[in-house]
This record gives sequence, structure tokens and C-alpha cells, in this order.
Amino acid sequence: MRSKIFILALVATAAATAQTVGRRLDFPADSPVTAVSSDWSETRETPRGGAYELDVHAVLSLRNSSQKRIHGVTLAVLAQEVTPGGKGTVSVPSLDVAPGEAFPLRIDLTLFGPLGAGGPMVEVKLDGVLFDDLTFYGSDRLHSRRTMTVWELEARRDRKYFKALLETAGGEGLQKEILSCLELQRDRPSAGVQMVRGRSTNNDAEHELKFAFLHMPDSPVDPTGGTARIAGNEARAPQINIQNRSERVVKHFEMGWIVKDQQGREFLAASIPSDVNLAPGKSSQVTQDTSLRFSERTLIDSMTGFVSSVEYSDGSYWIPTRGELNDPKLRTLIAPSPEEQRLLQIYHKKGLGGLIAELKKF
Amino acid sequence: MRGHMKETDLALYASGDLSLWQRAVVHLHLRNCQSCSTIVEEFRADGRALRDAAGGLPEGLDWARLSAEMTANIRVGLAAGECVAPRARVRKFIPASWRPLALASMVTTMLAVLLLGGWLLNMPPQETQALSRAMRSIWHGRSVMQEERGPVIEASSEGIELRKDGGALGVSQDSAKLLNVSVSTQGSASAHYVDQDTGQVTITSVYAQ
Repeated sequence: MRSKIFILALVATAAATAQTVGRRLDFPADSPVTAVSSDWSETRETPRGGAYELDVHAVLSLRNSSQKRIHGVTLAVLAQEVTPGGKGTVSVPSLDVAPGEAFPLRIDLTLFGPLGAGGPMVEVKLDGVLFDDLTFYGSDRLHSRRTMTVWELEARRDRKYFKALLETAGGEGLQKEILSCLELQRDRPSAGVQMVRGRSTNNDAEHELKFAFLHMPDSPVDPTGGTARIAGNEARAPQINIQNRSERVVKHFEMGWIVKDQQGREFLAASIPSDVNLAPGKSSQVTQDTSLRFSERTLIDSMTGFVSSVEYSDGSYWIPTRGELNDPKLRTLIAPSPEEQRLLQIYHKKGLGGLIAELKKF
Repeated sequence: MRGHMKETDLALYASGDLSLWQRAVVHLHLRNCQSCSTIVEEFRADGRALRDAAGGLPEGLDWARLSAEMTANIRVGLAAGECVAPRARVRKFIPASWRPLALASMVTTMLAVLLLGGWLLNMPPQETQALSRAMRSIWHGRSVMQEERGPVIEASSEGIELRKDGGALGVSQDSAKLLNVSVSTQGSASAHYVDQDTGQVTITSVYAQ
């Protein structure tokens, strides 16, 4: 009897450790990036009872096989056996890859799921490539065109700001500003948050809470009112009224959602992106069927919203200026752009000289 | 069969002095081990020889007198012990009639400890987190928040994760520094990582679409 139990345990262990990651790189034939090599050797697997946990680590070397300079790439990562319908993306903004040049891209995933017959399959597809002239290639199934274009516009804005500072205030002025940005990055408050679509299963009594808004003078979309349903540490169903005060049709806009708890702590809770078709001067109401849940000690006291980006129907964009982002509240709460994060890291690693050399490349 | 039983166990088995569980273990072993079976047979033969020898005691031995002397000697020994130090009375916490119940409780506790250990070592972290959330809610007297059945997106200082249908997809970078995470109400979360050597920023996202 003991022998049989032992053999069964051995079989179960063997089945658990036999899970291997299937992988597939699927780039279109006319893709502007091609895979030069891929290294999956750091992938690890751990059996967890009747389930498995996989740490997938891959380093891809991609080559720019187009005739333009690449400024951003987004890969879609699909693991259908683990989370049916769920997807992941890995994006690299702030690139400047010349035609023929290769660049690295890391994929790091953690998959957790029940033991299956063949093990999970990880499929990597190209979602989009953004070029230096803001043209785009790709299926754009995960809206990487919009996201990467906003990152690129923010990168140009921030480089311009730091270069202007270098010209007017010299290296000392630039260094002072960079140190101030590093301090803000270090002290930026953050809070863990869970998000579910639809209503959450929290049974606490809820009430309606109004949004306050930070109005940006140049924003083409003006928020005129809004509410959300609050129950303790949960906020759900945000509802925002907006007006298009520009002379162009607005196709999409995104709002930042700041939450303050009863202890006075304030943090950026989420962004509220919305697809609209709003003619000049017209108003509309957007509602999202979503619940946000914070930690148990974060009892929501007040909320603030601000417009963080707008896309017009002609494909052009509006983003806030550095001056508008210098609002005392926004400055401490909003994360810097990916380009500012890159420049701060270059300063951290190479000093002022390295940063100035990097700014002069553009 | 890899090893053999200890000779002391075999001797006790031969004399019928092993506990029920140990007796069953030795019995199973003997079914497949000729060497140990031979030893047990030898012990049994020795036992029989001793019993035969005990049958031949000196003639004229008064068993009643011998028994009375032995009992008296034991009582004298006990009385002497009381003079040196008073014997601590052993308090019987558990009445004899409750002992089967106490034994059952002990076995249940041991099983619970084993199950808890197994849970902590092997159970999915999501299940453990859900249980601990429910326990905390009960402890603080709040309504219990059940784990969502639909997709859940989570962003924290550890990274981002999508949980759906018992599976989880997390996107994180061990080799890079996590700068910030964000959540979108359209059903996604993003994490910004920076490579500390090159400064290259990688943004990973999960989508519940």
C-alpha cells in the first residue's frame, strides 16, 4: 500500500515538473522588425500542488529591417491556456533605432495555472511599430498606436524642455531641475489597487461622491461634472460629463483619477480612457462599468479628475504642457513620462555630462 | 526490500510485545524478508527454550511464600522512597472515560496541522490570499468580500497581474527597476521598468479583454 502511494506521488511529481513552455514568435512577413535571435534559457518552472508556476524570461534581439528610424515597438504576449482572452504587452518607447540596427527586448512573464496535458503556450506577436515621422505599422489590436504616439509626443516635449533649460540656465540649472525630478520620483505616493469590470462583490453600503476637477487652460476637453459610487475602500462606476471646447472633433480622451483617503493620503488611482465622437462645442457623458478596490485602510474621502490626453478624429493629439503639469498637486502625483524616466536614469548612471550628451543626440 | 528491521523490534515482535501499528509494519516486512523471518523464528525458538527451562525450578519451592516476600520487599522500598522525598501526586487531568475523546482530538489536531502545512506549501497564492482576506474581514467585523469570479487586474509595488478562471498572468521584470504602476478603467494595468545600466524603459501591460 505504501509503495503504491509512493509511486502515485512520484507520478504526480513527474507530471508537475514535465510542464514546459511552448513558445511561438509570430511576426508578419512584411514586418519592419525581424527577430535576429531569442534566448529563453532563463525560464524556470515550479510545481505548486495541482498547479504550476512558470517564470518566463526571454531576451529577443530585433533588427530594424525598415527604411525609417524606429521610435517605439509593442509586442503582444498571449497565453490563452492560462488566462483565456487575457493578453499582455511589452512596449519599448523612447527608442531611436536606425535602419539595419539591432536592439534588445526583454520579455518577463509569470504564468500560474492548473496542470494541463501539454503545458502552456506563449505566443509573441507584433502589435505595432512607431517610426520617427509618427507613422505606424502593425495590427494595433491593443491600441499601441495611440499609446506609443502619446509617449513619443511626451518624449519630444520633455527633451525640448530640458534642452531649453540647458540653454537658458546652463548645466547647473539643468542639474537642479533633474535633482528636483529625482526627488519627486522617489517620494511619489502609490497604492495597490484591484480592478474588476462591473460591480464588485463588496456588500458595504455605498454613496455617491462628486469629482473635483483640475482644469488645464489649453485642454480641448473640459470636464464639467462627475460622480462615482463609493463603498469604504471601493469606488465604482465613474461617470464624467465633458465638453469639447476645441474646433475639431474629439475621438478619444483620457482622464487621470486622483483619490484622497480619510487620512489625507493622495495618489493617482487610475486613468479613465474613453472613446467618444464629440463635435466642436458639444457635450457628452461617459460612464465606465468598473470597480476599483484599494487596501482596507484606504477609505475614500474625495476624488479629483484631470484630462491627460486627447486624440482628434484627424489623428492628431493634445497632451498637457510642462507648465500645466507643474500644478503643485499634479507635480507630486503624476508619474513622469517614459522619456523623463530614461533621462533621469542616464543622469543617475552617467552624471550631468552623460545627460547633456544624450540630449544633444536629438 | 531495501533494509532490515532492528533486532530489538524483531525480538519484541516474536514475544508479542510490539504495539499494534509496529506489529503491522514488522508483519508486512517479514512477508518479503526471509532474513528477518529467520531471526524472528530464532527468537521464538529461544523463547520456547526459556519457558521450558523455567518449567524445571528447584523442587520444594513455596510459590506462595516467595510471592509474599516479593510484595513485602516492594512495599518496603516504596515506604523508604516516601521518607526521602514525598511522592508527587500525579493529577489525572483527563478522566479515563474521556481518554478516547482526547485521543481523537489529538489526532484531529495533528491532521489539521498537516493539512495547514500542505496548504501553505502547495496551495495557489490566490487561494491563500482570498482566505486571509476573508479571515481579516471577519476579524475586523466587516462584511466578507468574496473573490471576484470575473477577471481581476491588480497593480501593486510588486508589479501587475491578471487573474482569470483560476489562472494568472503577471508581467514583471526581475532584472530592471520598477518605477511605477497604473491602472486603466477600460481593463488594463501597466508597469514601467527601467534598465539601470542603459536607461531603456520597458512598459509591460496586461489586458482583461
